[in-house]
Amino acid sequence: MEPGVSIESGSAIRVAVLPVGGPISPARLRDYAALVARHARVDLASLRPYYSEHQKSPFAHQPWGGGCLRLKFVLGGCVPSPWEDFQSSRKVLAVVGICHLPSSPDLGRVAADFVDAARSYPSALASRCFAFCPTDAQLVQKKRDNIIMFPPSDQQSLELHMLTMIQDLSASLLMEFEKWVLRAESTGTILKTPLDSQSSLGSEEVIKAKKRRLGRAQKIIGDYCLLAGSPADANAHYATAIELARLTGDVFWHAGALEGSVCALVVDRMAESDPVLEDEVKFRYYTIIQLYRRATLQDNAQRVSPVSFELEAALKLARYLCRRQCAKEVSDLLMGAADGAKALIDASDRLILYIEIARLFGTLGYKRKAAFFSRQVAQLYLQQDNAYAAMNAMQVLTTTTTAYHVQSRKTSKMDHGLLKLYWLSLFDSGNTDPGKWHPQSVVSLFESQWSTLQMVVLREILMSSIRAADPLSSWSAAARLLRLHSFPLHPSQREIVKRNPNKKEWWTGGGPSGPFIYTPFTKGGTSGTSKQEVNWIVGEPVQVMVELANPCSFDLIVESIYLSVHSGNFDAFPVSVNLPPNTSKLVLLSGIPTQVGQVSIPGCIVHCFGVITEHLFKEVDCLLLGAAQGLVLSDPFRCCGSSKFKSVNFPSISVVPPLPLLVANVVGGDGSILLYEGEIRDVLITLTNAGTVPVEEANVALSGKNQDSVISIAHSTWKSALPIKPGGEVTFAVTLRAWHLSPTDLEADGSRSPANSRRIAREGSNPFLDIHYAGPSGNSESNDVSLPPGRRLVVPLNICVVQGMRLVRARLLSMELPARFTDAHLRSVSSKDNLSNGSDAIRNDISLLKIDPYKGSWDLRLLELELFNPTDVVFDVDVSVHLDGTSVEQKILPEDKTASSACHKTRIDRDYSARVLIPLEHFKLPVLDTSFFVKENGSDEPLGSRAATLAEKNAKAELNASINNLISKIKVKWHSGRNSSGELNIKDAIQTALQASIMDILLPDPLTFSFRHAKDGTTAKTDSSKEPGDGSSRSADESVLRCKDPIFANEMTHMEVQIRNNTKETIQMNLSISCKDVAGENCFDENSATVLWAGVLSDIYLEVQPLQEVVHPFSIYFLVPGDYSLQAASVIIDATDVLRARAKAESPDEPILCRGSPFHIHVVGTA
Amino acid sequence: MASTACFVIVSKNDIPIYEAEVGSAPKREDQAYQHQFILHAALDVVQDLAWATNTMFLKSVDRFDDLVVSVYVTAGHTRFMLLHDSRSEDGIKSFFQEVHELYIKIFLNPLYLPGSRITSSHFDTKVRALARKYL
Repeated sequence: MEPGVSIESGSAIRVAVLPVGGPISPARLRDYAALVARHARVDLASLRPYYSEHQKSPFAHQPWGGGCLRLKFVLGGCVPSPWEDFQSSRKVLAVVGICHLPSSPDLGRVAADFVDAARSYPSALASRCFAFCPTDAQLVQKKRDNIIMFPPSDQQSLELHMLTMIQDLSASLLMEFEKWVLRAESTGTILKTPLDSQSSLGSEEVIKAKKRRLGRAQKIIGDYCLLAGSPADANAHYATAIELARLTGDVFWHAGALEGSVCALVVDRMAESDPVLEDEVKFRYYTIIQLYRRATLQDNAQRVSPVSFELEAALKLARYLCRRQCAKEVSDLLMGAADGAKALIDASDRLILYIEIARLFGTLGYKRKAAFFSRQVAQLYLQQDNAYAAMNAMQVLTTTTTAYHVQSRKTSKMDHGLLKLYWLSLFDSGNTDPGKWHPQSVVSLFESQWSTLQMVVLREILMSSIRAADPLSSWSAAARLLRLHSFPLHPSQREIVKRNPNKKEWWTGGGPSGPFIYTPFTKGGTSGTSKQEVNWIVGEPVQVMVELANPCSFDLIVESIYLSVHSGNFDAFPVSVNLPPNTSKLVLLSGIPTQVGQVSIPGCIVHCFGVITEHLFKEVDCLLLGAAQGLVLSDPFRCCGSSKFKSVNFPSISVVPPLPLLVANVVGGDGSILLYEGEIRDVLITLTNAGTVPVEEANVALSGKNQDSVISIAHSTWKSALPIKPGGEVTFAVTLRAWHLSPTDLEADGSRSPANSRRIAREGSNPFLDIHYAGPSGNSESNDVSLPPGRRLVVPLNICVVQGMRLVRARLLSMELPARFTDAHLRSVSSKDNLSNGSDAIRNDISLLKIDPYKGSWDLRLLELELFNPTDVVFDVDVSVHLDGTSVEQKILPEDKTASSACHKTRIDRDYSARVLIPLEHFKLPVLDTSFFVKENGSDEPLGSRAATLAEKNAKAELNASINNLISKIKVKWHSGRNSSGELNIKDAIQTALQASIMDILLPDPLTFSFRHAKDGTTAKTDSSKEPGDGSSRSADESVLRCKDPIFANEMTHMEVQIRNNTKETIQMNLSISCKDVAGENCFDENSATVLWAGVLSDIYLEVQPLQEVVHPFSIYFLVPGDYSLQAASVIIDATDVLRARAKAESPDEPILCRGSPFHIHVVGTA
Repeated sequence: MASTACFVIVSKNDIPIYEAEVGSAPKREDQAYQHQFILHAALDVVQDLAWATNTMFLKSVDRFDDLVVSVYVTAGHTRFMLLHDSRSEDGIKSFFQEVHELYIKIFLNPLYLPGSRITSSHFDTKVRALARKYL
């Protein structure tokens, strides 16, 4: 599709205007192009001197008297259309080169350049190269026939020169057309469109094609006649073509010829507009549209679709009819065309279609329709991913702002300029008509309530301007968007609070006494006297709202209006107002009180039509009353729109001495503070004393909702800054933690589509800072009664909480698969520096496997948190387990010196979820105590029920405390970007996840086994602590065991096993030690010879005192290098109830087995 | 069948005073904007058409992307606009007529300022019930 088509465009000769030679600055090129382009119409009469008739002209009815040639200049040329055989006006028939000679000194190169450029337009019948501003040297050079130089001269003679040249070009075009037509008439021509299938033609089709050829040739000859400015000839040829096409069933060409005939008709009778012609055009064009539609249906199977011709025809007709009177018809046509957009395959075609529709609706005066389609255009532009498209989108959107009422007064002029530029740049033809886009009525921002649309449009402007990297536009859009979202200043910003001299905290009770701004109870008493006390302050401007009505039917220009004050202590500022007929307007009249005392404002003084009058407010009532009774000739309903202001009793106003005036500023802008859920951030608030009196005392308190989101206020900072001198300022920090959104908030936010989740701060959910302050308490000698009032400043903390990371699920993994840790994990988990100093090679290739060969896992429990990031930023999650305070871990894990251990950061991209694992093995209590099992054992104990309950309660409380303690140690912190960080509130989730198996995690096993390598009799510090689980139950064990120093094969290795009793009772047991190779074969088997041993390894009777350790030494001798694991197990003799309970033994006589986790030994060869 | 329908009442000052998505199709936020944009654009057509006929129900006046805008203009030039996919004209007409009755009831309320937003939840419920009945 082509932009800017109209019915007449069939008669325009397309001329490509190309810059050639050296570089030309855009402004200069535009000047030159404008010089050329002003000759879009060349009268035939003026061609006579350049025209010579070589043979008899085929254009018999050429109107040499009044006819003209139409030229359409296309700056920069265009891509040849596949349809140019179908409509000759699509062909580039002439090429004009433009050259700026000072920048291209070599004329030869210019000539060659031009020839090159013209070569890409094979259809061109004539070409000229215009060279401007030649230097003297170039002027004296040998003349080249194909370069036409324009010697430097004044504008007028330049234009004359250009006119001559264009006439010459037109004349040669005309002669070329004659030649072409004569040749076509004599020899015939072959015409093809992409519709005619290139594939093999059947014999039948060949015959058909032959028949059709004649008709097509007639149509094309008609086209050329039209181009040659001879509509009468064209009409004759078209008539033949139509007949032939109808006979041969050549639907597409039939439509084309018909279109040409309408064009000829319209061009022929350009000047007149008579309804008969219009009806004829309408009738023929509807036929054309029908025919094109038929052609489309016929050729549906083909790759190319002529649907764009149908749409173009509709647009042409719409443009022809485009007047208010035909609005219905035009809008029907355009709506039909808009429906056709879906059939267009090419996105740029669709773009052009929407642009044209928008333009036509704009011309029609349907501004909202135009804005709608402009927005569609902008969206198509935004789909292209480049800055130019974004710029276009932005400019198109800017044009819609009038219709959506989102423009400010100042920008309207500029928008229009932009718009004009835009249309000009897009359609280089002179056919632009942006006149209808004048912002006819500038409506204020809030007049129209389509605020959703306004916000969407502004957001799109903002988005496109950001993409187009246009900071000014982005700023303006953002500012307007903010204004649309922002709420008005609280009237309480400068509220005056009476100080109670008897109370130290004078602010309490001074504020509004309830949740209502107005309460009938407090005001009730005074309303009888209908006098309200109003305090104004010396030196602070005040405003009085006055409604003005113009009941006249003409414009009323009030030169100035200001408050009339008789008390002489008030400076009133005059304003001038323009009142349209029969309207009313609210005007703010302002002034500054100058002296302490009473002010009375009886009315205002009006300068109008050179007359000064004083209008008294109290007369207004009578006037309105009179109007209501019909005594006064005015229409109160029409003139005074609001009845609210009708009878205001003017309050008594007293002016008080200057007070301090604090102005609060949230550092970083007054917009909402955007926080993700749980985010913690410091907000800096600057208080500036804008008054003339220092602030001596102040108090900052919180009010409003969500007060708990304010974690702390740096009271000391502002306190230390007191007194704040006039002009002084203090900045203090307020630490905020974003609250969590309730599900209803989320629903309302529509956060299911996170990309454009609306981030609108909900009004009313924000906390406020109430700052009460006061100046000095007057002269020290004066008594308390004259204490000047204090003031209150309310700083809303506009927190806008957006959805942050979500905790999808927390669960304790069942550990059916063993956990596998690499070294890296382990190091970061426990930062065991003392382990990392040696034998890295060994450590690295042994991944730490916590596998119980019998049960699958050594009961390392992992808490899995599944987190989902629904936002559009990336979160880094940092799970840390704080082991602060208690020395528990250090006892069990002597090598773990660090107070906290952290896992690696997990990065969660937008719209992804991630799982974070928290190992729970550092939470063992030091002692396995009876108290934990009170609940379980309660039934067995013969205690009194009361005592039992008490004990139970105690135990429960203790257990809960330790659970809470455990949970509070797990912290999920997140970071996002450079300066957002916070904490995820997952306490509840963890608690539910842990509830079931909390015992296993918290309680230690009764016995802890650890192996040591006793080298040369001295115990090397290579131990592994080990808490064997009791046989049947799972028990968490300590980190995996390894021998630090290498153990050599064929060498006696002294080992010892250390057993620690974690209970408060003596435990007797039978200990046995086993050794297994990698295959799990028992190496201490009598029949196997891989490992020899010395000492006792089985059925060792040991007795361990409460909380004590015993050591059992033994020696082993490895014959084969490799990996082995040692394991200790013991059967507890006479297990107590506690042990049974811990082991979850089912029957009282079940043997209680304690087993340590395997101790890994890597045996290296002696070689 | 999931259907789209968006109902808006526009006051004579071209200000929307009531909006409701009454279709059964699952809501999409961008679509909701689009509906409003289409309805807003259709006001231009209504403006001309309203004076060209003496019936209140203007039938379908505008369309975009398979969505049709049907309009009913009250005597006070308040416009009821319904954006819908193709549906029986009779149902829409009855819907409009019943909503008109509801609107008049709202209008009779002495506390309702003509031209201001209709916030009555009762009205909302009734309109949605009517939409279920007729659309």
